[in-house]
Amino acid sequence: MPKTLAEMLGSPMLAVATGLGGVMGLLSFNALFCIYLERKISAWIQRRMGPMEVGFHGMLQTVADMVKLLGKQLITPKGIDKPLYHLAPLVVFAPVVAGTSLMAFSGSFALHHIDLGLVLVFTFGGFAVLGIFMAGWGSNNKYALLGAMRSVAQNISYEIPLLLSALSVVMLTTSMGRTVTVGDETVAVQGLNLFHITMVQMDRNVWFIVLQPVAAILFFIAVLAETNRAPFDIPEAESELVAGFHTEYSGMRFALFFFGEYSNMLIGCMVATTLFFGGWSGPLLPGPVWFFLKSYALMAVMMWVRWTYPRLRFDQLMRFCWMVMIPLSIVNLLVTAFFLKVF
Amino acid sequence: MAYLGRILHGFKTLLTGLRITGRESMRKPVTLTYPHVEPKLTGAYRSAIKLIRFEEMDSHDCVACLACEQICPSFCIKIDGGKIEGIKKKRATLFEMDFALCSLCGLCIDVCPTDTLEYSRLYDEAGYDRDWNMDLLEEFRDFEPTFIEQQREREEKEAAAKAAKKAAAAKAKAEADAKKAAEAEKAGGDAPKSGDAPKSGEAPKSGDAPKSGEGSAS
Ligand code: SF4
Ligand code: SF4
Repeated sequence: MPKTLAEMLGSPMLAVATGLGGVMGLLSFNALFCIYLERKISAWIQRRMGPMEVGFHGMLQTVADMVKLLGKQLITPKGIDKPLYHLAPLVVFAPVVAGTSLMAFSGSFALHHIDLGLVLVFTFGGFAVLGIFMAGWGSNNKYALLGAMRSVAQNISYEIPLLLSALSVVMLTTSMGRTVTVGDETVAVQGLNLFHITMVQMDRNVWFIVLQPVAAILFFIAVLAETNRAPFDIPEAESELVAGFHTEYSGMRFALFFFGEYSNMLIGCMVATTLFFGGWSGPLLPGPVWFFLKSYALMAVMMWVRWTYPRLRFDQLMRFCWMVMIPLSIVNLLVTAFFLKVF
Repeated sequence: MAYLGRILHGFKTLLTGLRITGRESMRKPVTLTYPHVEPKLTGAYRSAIKLIRFEEMDSHDCVACLACEQICPSFCIKIDGGKIEGIKKKRATLFEMDFALCSLCGLCIDVCPTDTLEYSRLYDEAGYDRDWNMDLLEEFRDFEPTFIEQQREREEKEAAAKAAKKAAAAKAKAEADAKKAAEAEKAGGDAPKSGDAPKSGEAPKSGDAPKSGEGSAS
């Protein structure tokens, strides 16, 4: 069973401090790295080279950009809803930190270990919508408001297939074995525990993407929509809405939204890794390495997708969700339930 | 069924899209890392006009005829020049072109009687003024005195060669005349003036002097 940080350090306060530091470090690195990766991947797809000048192959480009953002003036528009406007970046950002700390990085170590991990991750994921809507509403700007409304409609719709496809994995987890043996102890499997989901996959030597391909694809698409990534980036739609909900944000406040978006992507990919790609399991290399390798491979696919497809129109987006994603995920769930009952 | 078919079809097209971008991303970038490498200009690339450096004279051959200045639709060429002390050839002493106005129409190149204009292959030039005067003679200026010297020698040599040729021609003519005369004599006539040849050899040299003198006036 994974040891939590508090158990290892012996003091909850110390654990909170180090855990927070670690997660923040990870997320900062993630944001810097992902922006770099995104630029490189978009460049390769368009047969360009991407950043090449700052540092070796442009490695320090995002660091330079961060410095630039830090130095920018924070412009506060007139007529805003002050508390909402100022709180919004934090509301987008804080849940991301909490969500990341729930991840099942490895079998022997955890920041938190709770049986309802999956539920909590999705709950924190839901906060992002709130933050985005606060930003849009508080900005006193029609583009921001439109972007925020789109974002809410989109996020709430796509949460349904996201949860339904995750649910079929949970059902699979609980049904494939009531217990798993780790070392010399036997644990009762909790379907919503991220660690247990990984352990069941390791125990049965199968990744759930093999058993649940449809759910995996639906989940991946829903994650794309949840994180407002192209082709589902209509809340930002720079050709129609300037920049969507963060139109009125500048400097570090804007950077926080960006930070939040990339962190949300990472969380989505980490959950997908846990649910469908066997989490930290893998030969030779230590668990966390495998975990992050898989997560970043998924991340690269997300970027690949982004630079391949054009943005959907809003009605197309909604139709796709309600006419395709949700029925398919319900059918998938029913079929899974049927097979689990019969066999 | 149609519903499922459409979903499957859509999914297939999505994969096709991914395949295309995936394939493209594997190919070599077409980026030209410009300041680090020199761009390959196309053959038809046109940039500011420049004076051609002819090998045999190691300089341009602008004779300041002003044909280009007059034909230029943008009025961007400014030329001064003319006769130079000591040589027969006329030379430009000022050749400025305002590249900010030039439309690269090429009329000046076509009209030049000595074919000494061509498009240059500049590609990273920048102007720091509203009028962007380029001094086309700049690269030739240092060499100009030497050029004039050489040109004079060349002209002298040419003149000498011409004179020699003329002399030879005259001599040949005189000989032929002499032969004819001899034949005529044989036939019964008398020998006509045979002192012509040396006189005609001197003639071109003495004609030169007044011409080169008037050049500096213009
Ligand atoms: S190219 Fe045309 S516009 Fe330019 S200098 Fe020559 S004649 Fe004038
Ligand atoms: S047309 Fe040619 S020779 Fe005449 S002034 Fe122009 S460049 Fe010189």
